[in-house]
Amino acid sequence: MGRVRNWQIGREMSYWYPEARPRRQFAAVFDTNKCISCQTCTVACKTTWTSGKGQEYMLWNNVETKPYGFYPMAWDLKLLERLGPQTWADGVYEGRTLFEAAEAGERVLGWRPEAIDYAHPNVGEDDCAGGAVERGAEYAVPHDRWFFYLARICNHCTYPACLASCPRASIYKRPEDGIVLIDQERCRGYQECVKACPYKKVFYNPMTGTSEKCIACFPKFEQGLQPQCFVNCIGKIRFAGHVSTPEHAREDNPIDWLVHVKKVALPLYPQWGLEPNVYYVPPIHVPRRFLRQMFGPGVDAAIETYRGAADDPDLAALFCLFGATERVVPRWKRTGDVVIGLEEDGTEIVRVPVREPVFIRRAFDAARQVVRTNTP
Amino acid sequence: MRSRSGRIFALVVLAGGCGGAPPPESATEVVAVRRPTLAGDPAAADWAALPTHRAALLLQDVVEPRLLAPSTPEVRVKAMTDGARLAFRLEWSDATTNDLPDTGRFSDACAVQLPATTAPDVPAPQMGEAGRPVEIAYWRASWQAVVDGRPDAITAIHPGAAVDHYPFEAASLPPGSPEQQAMAKRYAPARALGNPMAGPRAKPVEDLVSEGPSTLRPAGETRSDGRGVRTAGGWAVVVVRPMPAAVGSDARTQVAFAVWDGERREVGARKMRTGWVPLLVEGPR
Repeated sequence: MGRVRNWQIGREMSYWYPEARPRRQFAAVFDTNKCISCQTCTVACKTTWTSGKGQEYMLWNNVETKPYGFYPMAWDLKLLERLGPQTWADGVYEGRTLFEAAEAGERVLGWRPEAIDYAHPNVGEDDCAGGAVERGAEYAVPHDRWFFYLARICNHCTYPACLASCPRASIYKRPEDGIVLIDQERCRGYQECVKACPYKKVFYNPMTGTSEKCIACFPKFEQGLQPQCFVNCIGKIRFAGHVSTPEHAREDNPIDWLVHVKKVALPLYPQWGLEPNVYYVPPIHVPRRFLRQMFGPGVDAAIETYRGAADDPDLAALFCLFGATERVVPRWKRTGDVVIGLEEDGTEIVRVPVREPVFIRRAFDAARQVVRTNTP
Repeated sequence: MRSRSGRIFALVVLAGGCGGAPPPESATEVVAVRRPTLAGDPAAADWAALPTHRAALLLQDVVEPRLLAPSTPEVRVKAMTDGARLAFRLEWSDATTNDLPDTGRFSDACAVQLPATTAPDVPAPQMGEAGRPVEIAYWRASWQAVVDGRPDAITAIHPGAAVDHYPFEAASLPPGSPEQQAMAKRYAPARALGNPMAGPRAKPVEDLVSEGPSTLRPAGETRSDGRGVRTAGGWAVVVVRPMPAAVGSDARTQVAFAVWDGERREVGARKMRTGWVPLLVEGPR
């Protein structure tokens, strides 16, 4: 058992292995406010990676409707319940991480899903609920109506629970980019990783007898391209790149700037202690208590910053780079009303106007003597 | 040494042999009785007369992940040899059949472990030690079911599953053609990499080598075989493996056993196991 630094919880913590950060860390920012849950990301991933036997139920990428959508069922609630109430103080997590709360004989506090837990990938999808069952709602809940879409992939954690839990050391974190992979030659399908991963992003393949997971489309990422679920995103909510530790954050690295400088994108359940590397812009309309539990104590400041994007030219600009190119954009800058994505060496990849020009068409086309109809 | 072992049998047989000839017992060791041919079927009559060693099973609570709740209390072992191979018949109580793989579902299984070399200083019984390997023959109920004819299809696990299409079963690919087979392999990463876990499976047994916890690896080739059947209250499994390289006739070595109860989600290091048990390999009479 090692002692490692976890900047997301503001302290050192226990981990099965000593600290060994990769040279660079794959990371992503998802803007939950833009997601429409079209599941194009899910389909893009599914058709690319999980069309084989035993992979039928697997969604390495999924989008669930919070608070009642889950895949697998109640993945986060079950663990939150097992961990019990914990506290933060001044940005430092005072509670126990999943490694620190491990029970006797275990390396991680986890729970084992069963096949039936994957049978309903998004219960309550698009259902506002809230007491109108007689008018068609699926169920009633004793709180105000709200929901938001949470898109999820593997977090390629700095301290992966799957990796820590594998008794065979079949899971490894690549030193060059921090992507977490299961060695398909070595895995013997013990499912310890399925039990340990709190995000439930490791899946057992009953036909090959091994466990499988999101690979961050590493064959693409190695070529400087963003993963399939990113480039197929209709809502342009996703941005892939690399994240630094706070002390090495670079303002011209888009992910660093959003995560460390503006602090507008937050990790998912940071209190679990894995230092996950998908960062979420929290939804602006959801009760804060719920969001603080899900994204940590930085939620209020993040939402205030996000709400101010219209008056923050840089923030407004950077969000325009989301979905603008298939290439990974390691650097960025803004010039007036244009945001520019750059390679590490400064070569321009893409430039995007921060505000699209507005064209107004007359409904009646005099040249063709027809009335145009806008079809949404 | 052989005669001493023979005396132990005789005493046990005499002590319990006056009221209906219960099978003889060997209290302190497993004896591989010399036979001209080995019985690969656990139900074969040849096994009935052989001495049984009752090996108490211990919790694997040495390395994480540990098993903290005891389950299967003992395994009853018989053994025979034809001079070239060793056959072990393991029988244990298990009220439920667990032979379907799935998420959160685990298979009943057992294993027979021998040191790779015979030396007075045996390696640690817990999966061997660095530089001092142990050889393991591992039988799994879910593999037995495949060998016995369960189809290689998701509907064999989930009968209600509906599958629209697998890309490697496209109409443009003649079924069973080299192109079709190659494509099917690409969609099963573990199989493409030659991981024996992924099949295709012709035997219910896999040969493994280990040099300490977490070092388990497949042997270059599985030369062992076996067969497991349900009994009235559990499993009876025969594992037949080649004679260890350094073991000759009338030789002594060690053997250890492990049992996994799938119903209790035992898998990998979460198992019931024995320490080393002395093994006498009888020579020709």
